[in-house]
Amino acid sequence: MSTQENAERLELLQGTLDLLILRTLIFGSQHGQGIARAIQDTSGKELLVEHGALYPALQRLEERGWISAKWGVSSNNRKARFYLLTAAGRKQLVKETDKWKRLTGAIARILGAEGAES
Amino acid sequence: MFERKRKLDDFTSEIEAHIQLEIERLRDQGLSEEEARASARRSFGNVMQAEERFHESSHWLWWDHFCHDIRYTLRMLRKSPGFTVVAVLTLALGIGATTMIFSAVYAVLLKPLPFKNPDRLVFVRKKNPPRGWIRNPISPTEILAWRRESGVFEDLAAFTRSSCVLTGSGEAEEDPCEITSSNLFPLLGATPLRGRTFSADEDKPEGPPVAILSYGLWQRRFGAAENVIGRAIELNGTSYTVVGVMPANFSHLYASPYTTVPEIWVAGIALSQLHAWNDYFGVGRLKPAISLQQAESQMDTVSGRLEQENADLKGWRAELMTLRMAVSGDTRPALVVLMGAVVFVLLIACANIANLLLARGASRANEFAIRSALGARQERLVCQLLTEGLVISLAGGVFGVLLASWGGKGLVVLAPPFLLKSAPGLASGTQDLRVLAFALVTVLMTTFLFALAPALQSARPHLTETLKETGRSSAQSPRSRRFRSALVVSEIALAMVLLVGAGLMVRTLAQLGSVNLGLNPSNVLTLRVPLSGDRYKHPESQVEFWEHVLAAVKALPGVEAASVSRGLPVNDWSGQFFTTSDQPNPPPGQVPDANYVIAGPDYFRTLQIPLRTGRSFNERDTQGAKRVVIVNEALARLYWPGQDPLGKQLRVGSPGSTAPWLSVVGVAGNVLGQGPDAGFLPEIYIPYQQFPWLLGGPQHLLVRTSANVRPETLVRGVVQEVHRVDKDQPAADIATLEQVAQEPMTQQRMVMALLLSFAALALFLSALGIYSVLSYSIAQRTREIGVRVALGAEPGAVLRLVVGGGARLALLGIAVGMAAAFALTRLMTDLLFGVRPTDPVTFCVVAIVLAITSLLACYIPARRAVRVDPLVALRYE
Repeated sequence: MSTQENAERLELLQGTLDLLILRTLIFGSQHGQGIARAIQDTSGKELLVEHGALYPALQRLEERGWISAKWGVSSNNRKARFYLLTAAGRKQLVKETDKWKRLTGAIARILGAEGAES
Repeated sequence: MFERKRKLDDFTSEIEAHIQLEIERLRDQGLSEEEARASARRSFGNVMQAEERFHESSHWLWWDHFCHDIRYTLRMLRKSPGFTVVAVLTLALGIGATTMIFSAVYAVLLKPLPFKNPDRLVFVRKKNPPRGWIRNPISPTEILAWRRESGVFEDLAAFTRSSCVLTGSGEAEEDPCEITSSNLFPLLGATPLRGRTFSADEDKPEGPPVAILSYGLWQRRFGAAENVIGRAIELNGTSYTVVGVMPANFSHLYASPYTTVPEIWVAGIALSQLHAWNDYFGVGRLKPAISLQQAESQMDTVSGRLEQENADLKGWRAELMTLRMAVSGDTRPALVVLMGAVVFVLLIACANIANLLLARGASRANEFAIRSALGARQERLVCQLLTEGLVISLAGGVFGVLLASWGGKGLVVLAPPFLLKSAPGLASGTQDLRVLAFALVTVLMTTFLFALAPALQSARPHLTETLKETGRSSAQSPRSRRFRSALVVSEIALAMVLLVGAGLMVRTLAQLGSVNLGLNPSNVLTLRVPLSGDRYKHPESQVEFWEHVLAAVKALPGVEAASVSRGLPVNDWSGQFFTTSDQPNPPPGQVPDANYVIAGPDYFRTLQIPLRTGRSFNERDTQGAKRVVIVNEALARLYWPGQDPLGKQLRVGSPGSTAPWLSVVGVAGNVLGQGPDAGFLPEIYIPYQQFPWLLGGPQHLLVRTSANVRPETLVRGVVQEVHRVDKDQPAADIATLEQVAQEPMTQQRMVMALLLSFAALALFLSALGIYSVLSYSIAQRTREIGVRVALGAEPGAVLRLVVGGGARLALLGIAVGMAAAFALTRLMTDLLFGVRPTDPVTFCVVAIVLAITSLLACYIPARRAVRVDPLVALRYE
């Protein structure tokens, strides 16, 4: 995992981190490192997530009541703070996913049209 | 106080756990411990930054800043104790005065009356506009008709004030009592503590005589006995059954505060359609959505029909007032004026502190420049300065509330008795939560008033200049100087308005004191003996009682004269109709009326009322003798203008009465019995020996002492003589006539005392303001003055320069204040007597006082300027 490797990865778009965190948590509770790892792994290592940037986002989501947190023990017997999707968070995820799909669809249509013209 | 939402420790350990997990994962993938650690740290990014972001995202950041600011402020204030003491004390006085007056305003004008839905309750009286009579009691005829026909009342109750002499089981005592209709208690939403209230049956004249006791009487006289219900008590010689006891908090505020608070309520009001006596007051509960005006107009329709049927009711119309207005009515203007006055005091205090803060801000310019250069944002600096203001005003507020509760006790001493009756909460006013909330709001508002402008000014430092000059002579900008001058001018203007108000009240009291009442109230003792019991059923026995008492009292050493009367010569009124033989049948609505005084021999000598012509009453004016009467000048002039009143005839009662004709044997001088505002009203004096039964007979004993004997010293002797004649008769309302005459002035006296102290405070604060501005500007101009002196300026010239600057501000303030006072004092018109709101004497005197005080305040710093040593001043730079 060198810096060059990082440079080739995609930077996250503003606001998408929240969506990714919520999505990751749909499979059950997870700690911060697990979330970071899951986002990187499931994106086919395309996305660049600075682990430190995850925490303000988690903090924000917790404040809005979309996720809740409590201390627990990880699979390898380490104390870690586990995050859990709340009912409100589930609703938000549906809303955000829908929004995201419409946005990417629209952008894809525009880019597709441009591509056809040129 | 507040718990942080999530501890930073908790966050740090979460991050540590994260990194540890990542290390373990990487190690599992085969990396060495070293490599894994480095890589985990790298992919996490900046730990410190994450922590900082966490810190800022936690919402209590402002709280951290706030705590920091408070600590900083306390340090700053400890370092300059002089400033702290002056600022806190100034604010304490301002907030204290405001809170004290507000507690009175709240207790009298705002606090909900202690009844069910008090907003819908109205006090019902009547007025006769053609004859100029207002606030009159109402008659059963009207009560019944209004209740039944006007359609505006859910219910209308009636009551009348009476006096009950309670005998049996202990010493006889006279208690104020009320005869009430049975619906009064449910209408007010009042439930008894023990037993029940009256039933509708008991309103009837033939109903069983029943009574309800007040909590106080039950405790005092009956030892809170549970078996008092059903017990028989004797009231005015008749046996009554006690059916209930009202709770201690049952309020008398359904009646005018001028009446005494009843100890006993008696049933059997027996309202009859045939009775047009104006003996009752009404309390009504309006139907929802009926306004006061609607109610009055619908009641007037009913009155219009009644006056067709009954000539006695001609011209009378309903006069409604919300209960709140009726109870607090006459106090309102005084409280409004006082509230305005304390707001002025508070504004002056704020201006003063703003001034002090501005001066401090200039000397702290360096500090702010450095903080700002180190990256402090302007909002942070403003917040810091506002916090300083808040700490000062909170401290001022705490002391202020203490002052207010202390001053509230003084207020109770000053307050007229009726004010205390209409606002029982007055004494404990500052303990009310709403009053404390008001004080807190005042604190917050004053903080913004005095701290915002200086904060904005200081938080915008001119970095380079301030730092270059090392802050020493960071001369105030012209704008800041103008602002400070404006503050001083407005302080003086506000003080001017307050001083004019106080001056007008002083003049009013002087005028009231110098009014010639038409009698000599000094050295007269008065007391009341309401005769009751079987012994005095016959009027002759009452005459006998009084003859014995008068003979005994006159024999006491120090007594110059004594007499007896029904009604006191001041603040007592018993208006009744009469007719003269010249016009025995006046048209309805124009029947003459006068104040009836039932008087004993020596009445005029005792009170020193001059006789204009004819003779006084004497011992020979008895039952068998010719019936005589004495009238006052006002009556003689009104009904026999230009004629000799002696020998004229008049008759008691309405036209057609069968009372005997009375011959006028004397004309007495006018007495200002109803206060200076009312003027001279017609009065009729009737010898009590000829008409001992009229109006319930005489009750008041009047005793004039020799000039060197204080009337108070004779109280015991006189009461002893009364009890020697009959030990069962209570002696009530013992007072000197001077006290009685002064009572209507107590309100003006209170307003004067308070306004004077507020004005003195304002004068002092504004002098302090002008003093501090000049001191500051002299400190700033030390060098300039030094140069002037070095160049040969005379001390006189320096003095003129400095004093002239201050005097300009003072004169401007006085001019502005005069204009403001001219516009505002008319709000005081209701409180003034014998002086116009724009009284030129008051305005001039006040302006001179203010000018002299301001010049003195300028002179002290100016002296310092004169003593400036040019050498020192110049070396200073």
